[in-house]
Amino acid sequence: MLRLLATIRKEWQLLLRDKTGIILLFIMPVVLITVMALIQDAPFKDYQDIRFDILTVDNDHGRLGRSVKEGLASGGQFNIIDSLDGQPVTAERAKQLVNEGKYKISIIIPAGATAAIVSNANRIVNDITHRMGMSVSLPVKKVPDSLNVTIYFDPAAKKAFKGAIHQSVDNFLTQLETDMLISRIKQQLQRKDSTVTATDTLAIRLQAVGLKEQSTGTAKQLDVISNSVQHNVPAWSIFAMFFIVIPIAGNMIREREDGSLLRMKLIPGSYLAILAGKMLFFVGVCVLQFYLMMLVGIYVLPLLDLPQLVMGQHPGATLLVAGGIGLAATAYGILIGTVFKTPNQALNFGAISIVILSAIGGIWIPLEVMPARMQLLGHLSPLSWGLDAINDIYLRNGDVGFVWKNVLRLILTGLAMLAIAGWVEKRRMN
Amino acid sequence: MSGISVKDLYKTYKGSAEPTLKGLTFQFGKGKIAGLLGPNGAGKTTTISILCGIVRGDSGEVIIHDLKQQAAHREEIKHIIGIVPQQIALYPQLSAVENLTYFGNLYGFKGKPLQQKIMHYLELFGLEKSAHKEIHKYSGGMKRRANIIAAILHNPKLLVLDEPTAGVDVQSRSMILQFLRDYNSQGASILYTSHLLEEAQSLCEEVVIMDAGKMIVQGNPQTLIHQHPDCNNLEDVFLHFTGNALRD
Repeated sequence: MLRLLATIRKEWQLLLRDKTGIILLFIMPVVLITVMALIQDAPFKDYQDIRFDILTVDNDHGRLGRSVKEGLASGGQFNIIDSLDGQPVTAERAKQLVNEGKYKISIIIPAGATAAIVSNANRIVNDITHRMGMSVSLPVKKVPDSLNVTIYFDPAAKKAFKGAIHQSVDNFLTQLETDMLISRIKQQLQRKDSTVTATDTLAIRLQAVGLKEQSTGTAKQLDVISNSVQHNVPAWSIFAMFFIVIPIAGNMIREREDGSLLRMKLIPGSYLAILAGKMLFFVGVCVLQFYLMMLVGIYVLPLLDLPQLVMGQHPGATLLVAGGIGLAATAYGILIGTVFKTPNQALNFGAISIVILSAIGGIWIPLEVMPARMQLLGHLSPLSWGLDAINDIYLRNGDVGFVWKNVLRLILTGLAMLAIAGWVEKRRMN
Repeated sequence: MSGISVKDLYKTYKGSAEPTLKGLTFQFGKGKIAGLLGPNGAGKTTTISILCGIVRGDSGEVIIHDLKQQAAHREEIKHIIGIVPQQIALYPQLSAVENLTYFGNLYGFKGKPLQQKIMHYLELFGLEKSAHKEIHKYSGGMKRRANIIAAILHNPKLLVLDEPTAGVDVQSRSMILQFLRDYNSQGASILYTSHLLEEAQSLCEEVVIMDAGKMIVQGNPQTLIHQHPDCNNLEDVFLHFTGNALRD
C-alpha cells in the first residue's frame, strides 16, 4: 500500500511541476469542447431550429393553398415566401431560384387544386347518397387527371430532409381531402335528417387515435437528443481523456531513459504496486478531466448561447463509465510507453492512433450517419464504447444495468493492453 | 565466503551476431572494494545488469553474497544490492528530498525515521542546503551525489556503482571516493566500474580487467603492477592487456 500511495503522491508532484502538462490535460480539452460545440452548433440545428425559407407559388388561391401555407408556417421551421420584390413569385422563377441554391424548397400549388379536391369529395358523397336512396346531387366538375402539387428541392438537399417535406405536404393534402369529404357527408346527413346536430362527431371520431411523441426515458430527456452540446461535450471529452496517452507514454519513456525505472525495478517488492499507483493516478486525472468538461457543458456553454448539457439521472453510472474510459486510456498510454523506445515515436503514434480511433468511433460525427461498414469498424473502437455508454445515460436515462457491457469492454481492453505491455517488458528483460 | 562470484557467464542480445559475454568468470570476496575495468564494449554494464538481476544471462552462474542469482533469490538479492547507475536515475522535476522520500517509501521506509535518514545523508554529501531544490537545477557533481544517496537508503551490503565519478569536479570526486572508503569500512562490499584508472588504482583492493566479454586478468592493482615490470601504474597494466586499438 505504501508503494502505491507513494507513487500516486510522486505522480501528483510531477504533474504539479509540469505547468505545460496541466494546460494540455485540463485547459486544452476545455477549449476543444467549447470550439467544437460552437462550430457544430449550426449543423446540429440544421433540421431542428433553423428556419428555412420556402418559396410558395399559390396558383390555386383556394383552401388548399391556404392550408399548405398555414400548416408549414405553424411548425415554426419555415418562412413562407410568396412574393419577391413586391411581385408574386411565379413557378418558373421559383424553379430557377431553387436550382441556383438561393432557396432550398419551393412548392407550387396548381390552379384549380382546391376545386379538384371539392369535386372529388362531391363525387364520393354523391355515390354514397345515391346508394342510400337519396336523390340530391352535389356539383362535380371534370378535372384533369394529373393535377399535382409540385415541389422543387435544392439539388444539395439531403434525402431525409426531402422525405420530411414530402410527408408534411402529403399530410396537408390528405387532411384537406378528408375534411372536405366529412363536411360534405355532414351536409347531406343534415338534409336527410334535420335532428342531426352540427356537432363535429365524425371528425372527432376520425382523430380518435392520434400521434404523440414521448421520451423513452423521463420526460425531461425529450428535448436533449442530438444537440451540439449533448453530442460534442461527451464525445470530445472522451477524445481528450484518451489524449492522456501522450503524457503517460512520455512519462514512462523518460523513466526508462533516465534510469528511474531501473531503480524502481531494483527495489525489492512488486513493480505491479508501482504500476497500479501510476494507473490509479492517471485514471483519477481522466475522471477529473471528464467532470471538468461536464461542468463546462453545464455552466459555461450556455453563456455562449449553446444549450445546457443534461447529464441524465444516474451519477453513479456516469462515474463508472468515466472510470472505465480512464482505465482504457491509461492502459493504452502504458502500452505505448512500453512498446515505443523514444518519446517522438510514442507521441506520433499515440496522437495519430487516437485521431483514427476517434474518427471511426463516432466522436467527430455520430456513428449512425456513417456507412454500414464504417459503423461496424467504429463499434470496435473503445472511444465508441465510452460514447455509447455516456449517451445511454444522458439520452436514454440508462443506469448501471444499461451501461455495464460497454464498461466491461473498456476494462477488459485496458487489462489486455496492460498484459501486452507486461509481456513486452518481460521480453525486453530476457 | 564470496561477495560476488561469476562463473562461465554467457550473454548474447537478440539481434546481435556476437555474444557480449563469452564465459566471463571472476570472484570478489565480501567486504572488498573491487573494480570492474575494461574498454568500451567490454561488457561491464551487461555484467552489472546481470549481477543486479535486470538482465538475464544465457548460461553460467552468478552468486551474490552466497545467494544464487535466480528467480528464487531475486527479491533477497535486491535487499543486498544498492545500484548507482551511470545515468542520474532521479526525477529531474522533483527535489532531492522528494526523490529520496519516494525511493525510501518504495523500500518500505516512511515517516520521521526516513526523513532523518535522508537529512543525514544529504548533510553527509553536502546537499543539505539544496535539499528542496529540483534535481535539474543541480550541478553535475550534486546530481552524482544525490544519485548515490538514492542507492544507499536501505543500507545495502553490496554497493554497485557504474562510473560514479564521470564528469564531476575534483571536489565532488574526492568526496564520493572518501564516502566509498567509509562505507566499505562499515563492512559493505563495493563493486565499481570506471575509465579513470588512477582513481581505480587508489580505491580498489582488487580489480578485474575484462575485454570482449571475457576476464583478462584479476588481482590487486599493486600486485598486478609489480608483476609487469614494464608497467608503472594500473593504466599501463590495462593497456598491456587490452592493447592500444581504438574501440567502437
